[in-house]
Amino acid sequence: MLFRLALSNIKNRIRDYIVLLTGLVMSSAIFYMFANLATNEDFIKTNASFKFAVPVFYFGEVLLAIITFIYVMYANSFLLNMRLHDYGLFMMLGAKKRRVGSLMVLETLTVGVIATALGLVLGVALTGGISGLLFDHLGIVLHHFNPFYLKALLTTVLLYLILFVIAAIFNLQSLIRTPVLKLLNQTDSVDKIKVRGFGLFFSGILGVVLVGIGYYVLHEIVVFQLMAIPIALVTIVLGSYLIFRSSMTLIIHWLKGTGWARHKLNNFTLSQIMFRIRDYTKILTITSLLFALALGAITVGSGFNRQIDWMAKMSSSYTLAVNNPTTQEQKLMTQLTGTKIVSYDQKFVGKNVIYNEDQFVQNPFMVVKYEKAKDGTVKAPKTVPISVQKLKSDVNDQLDFLGLAGRTGVEPSFQKTNQFNQINANNNSVSVITVKNIGVNRDVLTKLNNLQNKAHPQESISGIGVGSFQAYLVISSMYGGLEFIGYFLGIAFLAMLASCLMFKILSGTRQDAIRYNLLSKVGTRRSLLRQSINREIFVLFAVPGILGIVDVLFGLQMFKPILDKPYYNIQYPILIFIGLYLIYYFLTTWLYKLIVLPKKKK
Amino acid sequence: MNNQAIVSVSDLHKTYGGKNEKQYEALKGINFDVQPGEFVGIMGASGSGKTTLLNMLATLDRPTSGSVKINDQDVTKLKGNKIADFRANEIGFIFQDFNLLETLTAEENIALPLSLQGVRRSAINQAVNAVATTLSIEDLLKKYPTELSGGQKQRVAAARAIVHKPALLLGDEPTGALDSNSARELLELLTDINQKQGVSVLLVTHDPFSASFCDRILFIKDGVIGQELKRNGDSRTEFYQNILEKLGTFEQ
Ligand SMILES: Nc1ncnc2c1ncn2[C@@H]1O[C@H](COP(=O)(O)OP(=O)(O)OP(=O)(O)O)[C@@H](O)[C@H]1O
Ligand SMILES: [Mg+2]
Repeated sequence: MLFRLALSNIKNRIRDYIVLLTGLVMSSAIFYMFANLATNEDFIKTNASFKFAVPVFYFGEVLLAIITFIYVMYANSFLLNMRLHDYGLFMMLGAKKRRVGSLMVLETLTVGVIATALGLVLGVALTGGISGLLFDHLGIVLHHFNPFYLKALLTTVLLYLILFVIAAIFNLQSLIRTPVLKLLNQTDSVDKIKVRGFGLFFSGILGVVLVGIGYYVLHEIVVFQLMAIPIALVTIVLGSYLIFRSSMTLIIHWLKGTGWARHKLNNFTLSQIMFRIRDYTKILTITSLLFALALGAITVGSGFNRQIDWMAKMSSSYTLAVNNPTTQEQKLMTQLTGTKIVSYDQKFVGKNVIYNEDQFVQNPFMVVKYEKAKDGTVKAPKTVPISVQKLKSDVNDQLDFLGLAGRTGVEPSFQKTNQFNQINANNNSVSVITVKNIGVNRDVLTKLNNLQNKAHPQESISGIGVGSFQAYLVISSMYGGLEFIGYFLGIAFLAMLASCLMFKILSGTRQDAIRYNLLSKVGTRRSLLRQSINREIFVLFAVPGILGIVDVLFGLQMFKPILDKPYYNIQYPILIFIGLYLIYYFLTTWLYKLIVLPKKKK
Repeated sequence: MNNQAIVSVSDLHKTYGGKNEKQYEALKGINFDVQPGEFVGIMGASGSGKTTLLNMLATLDRPTSGSVKINDQDVTKLKGNKIADFRANEIGFIFQDFNLLETLTAEENIALPLSLQGVRRSAINQAVNAVATTLSIEDLLKKYPTELSGGQKQRVAAARAIVHKPALLLGDEPTGALDSNSARELLELLTDINQKQGVSVLLVTHDPFSASFCDRILFIKDGVIGQELKRNGDSRTEFYQNILEKLGTFEQ
């Protein structure tokens, strides 16, 4: 009987349950995605070729488990608030506490099992989908990677089992402890916020100091080594939390005192944010952290991507040399973008390859110039022209130039146009192709390279020295895994973040619906209500976003030892990220308005 | 129709339930006027259609047919922003369950209608203080609704309902959640507002004591107005007796 009653209640609150389940499913799916990489040591060892790879993933997993724990506890308190009143009613009607208690445990666990099961299905699908997309986009081939990975599956199941058992125990406790009358009168009443200026100011300062310590240890990661990561984690999380609490309260309190607050719904919006911020401080801290992690992961991922192009360009002044281009090859060459193509004539006599010196005066051969910046780091690779004299004098050091012959074991030499024309040998030529962006032209270059390898098979001189495209292929097989991990994790974290924030905002809609309904009753225009909602949610999104960006800017210090220039072109990942984040913002406001705004009367 | 009337309801019908649902006709042709400055009560048994009627007057719901004119404007024809502006400018509400925003202090709650109209800050402060003095709630202004008693909340709600000087004040059982003392205080307050500021008041109630503060009472039964009772200068106690008698015969 009681069971049937509980079921019918679920039916009535289907919308709340959908919100709850969606949130939990997202969280377990994302945890699985992460665990898929993190628990796969073979994958990490083969693909993440840096020293800290395994421990970094280990910390990542612990961090995500903590976040998941908080997340599940949030979801659970949402469930608890939703149900306590009903359970109180059952008890008032004479149901035994034990019976109601077991019902509650059963319900909590059922929600957990359903959410985890659905989450795993979604997680496998997402892992497959996203990795497929990334492989296509980045042209990476990974070993030891499989969307379905049993160890990750078991890890996820185990974690969620533990979390929901804890949640069930917690629920049972609060059911047993709370008197029936209180259960019945449970309204999510809003406490008054006391603004104690001094205390808030002090905790704000403390927050800044803590965050500062975190950033410092990240900056000095070479000194602190692995310890830097847990120290930074604790100090930055705690510091952000304190900063949020105090700064937002103080700012809003100050704004409320101004004339602006008295205009239209401004005061209401401010109050909404103020009460939210309080309730949200924890989740906003998590959000800013996730935001930082996601952005950091994508930045580092694209950093590795750039690294590939960069290191490839370091290795050679041109991208690819095509000997005696056929018409098919010439056609392919026109498909390249951002190209510079220079053609030189060649004649092969015995063990010699002879070039026309005048052609080299007209179109000087280029070589890579290595430059160091003042701080000792290597500057972006630059190519400079080399004179024929210089080329002649240290010909054996110019591997790039030697490579033009298309075969090994030949000595290059030069002749003026007249003598060159008199040489009795077949006319050959080589086209030296230089493209701005290798990644963009990868497909065409691969075709050209394959055709060349077929026409002019050569014993590989370790792949390096005959055009940067060869180097590109070698390096991208090395760094591709890291790049993939960066993007993959970035997307996973972003999804986690969005569902965290969205879930929290949507879970408060029951109270808000009443407020907006009332505002509309006293004559607030719909447009004004919409504006108020947009602003409120904007602040809730923007604040952790900004803090997250700041976190990333400092956090990237950590990658200095393995990445050349972690900050190079940082604006692009940030912009992409803000774009994605905005989409979530619009989605959230849309859902929120859908639930909260009173229905329009026709 | 009478042009001076502030409220003029004619042949109002309301049927609940959509096309494929069970139909229920809650109002079956209601006609009445309210003169400026009048204090009118609407009484009737539970389920007789009192709240339904008030919702039509307040533009919270639309009638199936008939018209409601407030200040010579047919409010049933209003749409979108016009509805919002009408509510914000022309009427004040007091609900049974207070309906204060618990995220705002009493003062901010009261200021809300004026803020919505874009009134200047200094004018808002002045108006809020004035109405707070009238209702003797100056000490409560800085408090949040959770820190107020039911009676105090209802005073704040009343202040919010009249701060923008509406032409018409609507109340749906505003004393329903109050003890008899607080109820009496609120009713005296409403009478005071009605007499001193000339605001017309329309009060829905099923409680004869509350009704005895009115000038005129309309009895509604099964969706139509069955009878009317006028005070005609009687004292409140006499009127109270009359109401009780009327209810005795009417409810049978
Ligand atoms: N949204 C609705 N849909 C369908 N029927 C409704 C709706 N609202 C009210 N009713 C019906 O209309 C009738 C009148 O309801 P109304 O709320 O106006 O009564 P009331 O006089 O205010 O009663 P009470 O004194 O109990 O508040 C009732 O029979 C009720 O069941
Ligand atoms: Mg009613």
